[in-house]
Amino acid sequence: MMQDKIAELVDQIPALDKRGTFTGPSWEEATPIFDGVLAAGKEGVTAVVAMLKDVDDGADYKARYVLHGLAQYLGRPGKEAARSLFVEALAAQLGGDRPRGAQGYVARQLQVIGTKECAAALGKLLPDPELCEYAAQALLAIRAGAVEEFRKTLPDLKGGPRLTVLQALGVLADAASADPMKAALSDGDREVRLAGGWGLARIGDAGSADAVLKAADVEAGYERIKATSSALLLAEKLLAAGKKADAARIYKHLKETRTDASEAYVAEAAAEGLAKAGG
Amino acid sequence: MPSSKLGRRAFLKDAAASVGFFAVSPSALRADPPRRSPNETYGGALIGCGGRGPSTYKEMTKDLTVEMRAQCDVKFVDKADNKMFYTDFRRVLERKDIDLVAIGTPPHWHALISIAAAEAGKDVMCEKPMTRFIAEGRAVADAFKRYKRIFQIGTFGRFGESRNKNQILTHKLMRSGLLKENPGVFVKSGGLKVKEWSGRVNVAPQTPPANLDWNLYVGASPMKPYVPPRHGGTHRGYWDYEGGGLADMAQHTLDPYQWTYGKDDTSPVEIEASAPPAHPEVCAMWGWIEMKYADGFTLVLESGEWGNKYDRKQARKPVLEDLDEESRKKFQAMPDPEPLLTFAEAVKTRKPAGGNAEAAHRCAILLHLANIAIRTGRKLKFDPVKEEFVGDDLANRYVNPPMRAPWHL
Repeated sequence: MMQDKIAELVDQIPALDKRGTFTGPSWEEATPIFDGVLAAGKEGVTAVVAMLKDVDDGADYKARYVLHGLAQYLGRPGKEAARSLFVEALAAQLGGDRPRGAQGYVARQLQVIGTKECAAALGKLLPDPELCEYAAQALLAIRAGAVEEFRKTLPDLKGGPRLTVLQALGVLADAASADPMKAALSDGDREVRLAGGWGLARIGDAGSADAVLKAADVEAGYERIKATSSALLLAEKLLAAGKKADAARIYKHLKETRTDASEAYVAEAAAEGLAKAGG
Repeated sequence: MPSSKLGRRAFLKDAAASVGFFAVSPSALRADPPRRSPNETYGGALIGCGGRGPSTYKEMTKDLTVEMRAQCDVKFVDKADNKMFYTDFRRVLERKDIDLVAIGTPPHWHALISIAAAEAGKDVMCEKPMTRFIAEGRAVADAFKRYKRIFQIGTFGRFGESRNKNQILTHKLMRSGLLKENPGVFVKSGGLKVKEWSGRVNVAPQTPPANLDWNLYVGASPMKPYVPPRHGGTHRGYWDYEGGGLADMAQHTLDPYQWTYGKDDTSPVEIEASAPPAHPEVCAMWGWIEMKYADGFTLVLESGEWGNKYDRKQARKPVLEDLDEESRKKFQAMPDPEPLLTFAEAVKTRKPAGGNAEAAHRCAILLHLANIAIRTGRKLKFDPVKEEFVGDDLANRYVNPPMRAPWHL
């Protein structure tokens, strides 16, 4: 009964044109549809989610559009209570044996509208190679409650999810994760090494300077380019934090080691930084 | 400029024919890049060889002597030799004999490749739109400032504006600080290809073509299954890679006027859109977008393709008569703006190009503000200094959306 009522509302979304492109209803036309779903409470939202297919081939575009429209609608001031209901209903759809494609889509809607209340549900998806990225991106967008989920999950992760979560901790400049980032500097995977160095730079951890510089002194190539960039970022962070001597040490090292003509621009940037650091 | 398939083929053929020459070129064998002199031969690379790529490369070589030394495209899986042809731009940027990089990829790669190129010491000409979201532009501008590299956006209308007497007058007036309340209204009507660059919703996922590295193509954007319109020009219709006709055309259209109206160093503070609720994946229809600057200047984009016509304000240039007599005297004593430097002039003099990263970023912000107003469905307030929305955390989620590892700003 409920499912039929919701299906009727969803079906009011306009048809695609012959080319397969879409023009949505005006907000005036869409609002009664959104309100109709919300009037049915969490069950209404769940009923729309139940209409999602695993594969996005256009067959369920109306349900996808309604969920995304709700995410936009509930971002408006004054809609806080309905937003909580919506977020809770979506979070309840994560995990278990529900279609992976549908779960991924729900996670992406939480990236738009989610709150800290759904952080734990998203965190449970982090070990899943298929859903980890979507979950991590939603958590990073929400911020509140994200760092705890990443920290808690990192030690057990491998492969893609490990890199994703390590990088996410770097995005959040999580000082409490400095140790795993330092450990990452000697990983066998170049991307993990670079993510570790970049994370340490974002944190602005003076104690990591030697390790970050060592990582930047690898032989010429892309890794040296990016790791050097992280070393400069770390120096900038230290300088901004008033740790001039620590910053100067990094700048001095880069100025003195980037002596090849092909790296003159790095030496120049380091010299400029060194001057600012009073070195 | 070759923009047709035939033109691209001819371009690639020419470049391929030159491989033999480069293989024995002394400059290509040097360990260190050559010292710069006005008649120096520069090593050039094109990253993103379809669509506008070849035109962007040709623009980059204007008034410079450039040898094409690398071409890179994610659809070169079947021809990559890592000498002339590459699929992975990182391999290109490692090369010491490449000085100049033209970026003709879809926009979701523009910022990351530009930044990596600056970090590798290269100068860049990058196809418009500069970025896919606001924070990317700030990161690009910071990187080019840090490494003192040259950046020029691949749209050039501002150079003509900066030589036009009437536009110089408007520019000076806007920059003079003498307008007590800015009455200016600029309306751009039509030409933004809204329907044309709307994405298709009903295409089933397929196996990617064997010559395409889909993972590298998707890059920092959310991983989605391959559907043909997401690649190869029609990518414009998907939020993951661009921002519809608005993002594709508006930097081209607005960049000259941003110079004329003197807004290279600031952004609007209020943004409002008339549009249906946005689709999650594809860029679709909208009617108009109104953006107000702090000084009162108003910029309007009108699609003419959906909803009611914009009727709040009429287009109007600020004119000398808007100044009182004393201000006019002060105005007459003000110098004309410095001429804008072309990419070639900037490369040779190491001074910023006319379409430098900071200016291009401010223009790209306009497209992103417009699209975020469409995607949130509400009136927004923006802080042009912090480059974030005021009192709207959800809108700010579109300013710097997380990237897929290992990519990050």
